[in-house]
Amino acid sequence: MTQRLKHIVPNVVVGVWLAMGFLTVQPVSAEEKSKVAAPPESTLQSVSVSAPMVKGALPADDPNAAVWSSATMARFPMSPQVHWPTRILDATVKDLNVRALHDGTNVAILLEYADPTEDPDDAAAIEFMVGDKKAHFAHGQPMAQVEGGPVNIWYWKNKDNKGVDMNAKGFGTIKVQTHQDVKAKGTYANGTWKVVFTRPLATEHADEDTQIATGGFINIAFAVWDGKKDVSGELKEKGSQKAVTSWWNFRAEAPPDYSSYYYAAIAVGVALGFQFVLIRKLKKGHSA
Amino acid sequence: MGPLIKLIVLNVVVYAILKFVVPNIPGSAPLPASLVFLYMMLTTSGFVIFATVSAESKEAFWGPIQRFLTGENIGGLQALRYGILILFPLLVGWQTYSSTAVSDAPPSENRTIHPAPPGEYTGLSNPISKTPDAIQQGKGFYAAFCSPCHGGNFDGKGPASRGFNPPPANFSDPTTIAMLQESYLFWRIKKGGVGLPIEGMPWKSAMPRWEVELPDEWIWKIILGEYDGAHQAPRTWE
Repeated sequence: MTQRLKHIVPNVVVGVWLAMGFLTVQPVSAEEKSKVAAPPESTLQSVSVSAPMVKGALPADDPNAAVWSSATMARFPMSPQVHWPTRILDATVKDLNVRALHDGTNVAILLEYADPTEDPDDAAAIEFMVGDKKAHFAHGQPMAQVEGGPVNIWYWKNKDNKGVDMNAKGFGTIKVQTHQDVKAKGTYANGTWKVVFTRPLATEHADEDTQIATGGFINIAFAVWDGKKDVSGELKEKGSQKAVTSWWNFRAEAPPDYSSYYYAAIAVGVALGFQFVLIRKLKKGHSA
Repeated sequence: MGPLIKLIVLNVVVYAILKFVVPNIPGSAPLPASLVFLYMMLTTSGFVIFATVSAESKEAFWGPIQRFLTGENIGGLQALRYGILILFPLLVGWQTYSSTAVSDAPPSENRTIHPAPPGEYTGLSNPISKTPDAIQQGKGFYAAFCSPCHGGNFDGKGPASRGFNPPPANFSDPTTIAMLQESYLFWRIKKGGVGLPIEGMPWKSAMPRWEVELPDEWIWKIILGEYDGAHQAPRTWE
């Protein structure tokens, strides 16, 4: 009896040890990954805008289209522009909600924010880096120790209600492009602006336009102007006086990729084969 | 005690030390799970080498494993064996899936928060005497120019801080200005975010380049006011 027990106890221990070992390593490494990766709750603050791929036409003219709900809403707090004179210490818009979609050819980005009044000078803009060089979020201004690149700005103003495609590399260098690829349309209702920007994912002017390859992350930043006039008739926010964000991330999602499932199936096959060979070898060794 | 039980006890002890003792040593920090796992793997491989040096000890170590995997008439262990033979390939499959699946997370950024300053900004001493007047003036400048982002309470939570990534530094945190010399603050205030080297990711920083707006004297006074207001002292080498 004790002889049997002597054999059984190590057996049990080995089995439990193996199973526990694998089971603990698994969640531990997953937990560590998620600590780095998981973005904060989208209701509070996002780190990234993700544009899923949709079939059919993009809702370029319709910020209320049902298809927008297939995109996860990202939320970015905004700051008054205090980085450079002329600064502003309080901006109207405090938070910006962003959704994006693409159809494999074009991308549509919907900005949504609260603004108590509709004014002709209300405006919004999206900013990207152009090319491989990093650009400072404040209009690609020069950096002391890093050679920066230009920024591409997509601009919309209520009274024109169209998109303007621009570039800048430093303060006071803003320039409207000769090729206008950006479309924009704003709709105001119930104290909320909804502005949709659309553009082809790729353009022929890679030195001026940001190029959006599906699957990859690029930098994105936002600005909003409240075009309300004060009692003296001056615009409350104009030029560098605006609500801004610094750089966050943007990605046009790649078409679904199932290769991970194939790799997993192959790995399961290899593991089964390994077990089969191991047990056969052990049995042979035992009987020999 | 059989060698397998010894191995398990040893691993439990090592895990307990790494998880609960090491982080509590002064100046230490909690170890990442991957490092704990690595140490336990090293412990296990060391033990296996030790346990298999002689034919006798090898039999004592491998024998039970071999019997578990191939032995007949092992009773209830048979079920456990099949369980493990099924579980192992599934775990390998899951591991492969999670390491090859496309991640939804943006690339992680290893930004250096306090990169090395240019040589000419190391070791400068504050030319302004630390008088109550100078501190008071510095706090006034701080309130006007710095507090919108760094906060009236020196905690980095000013009303204009919310949209910026990275967030403005919290001076009351002992890992910010308390770890730095006054000359470092002088460099950071004077040259701003765009003065950072590449590892500091200057393109993301909203810190203004104050040299274009404030005289050096004001910057030195702001430094006095900042340390006093945040109840911190600059780092010195004495």
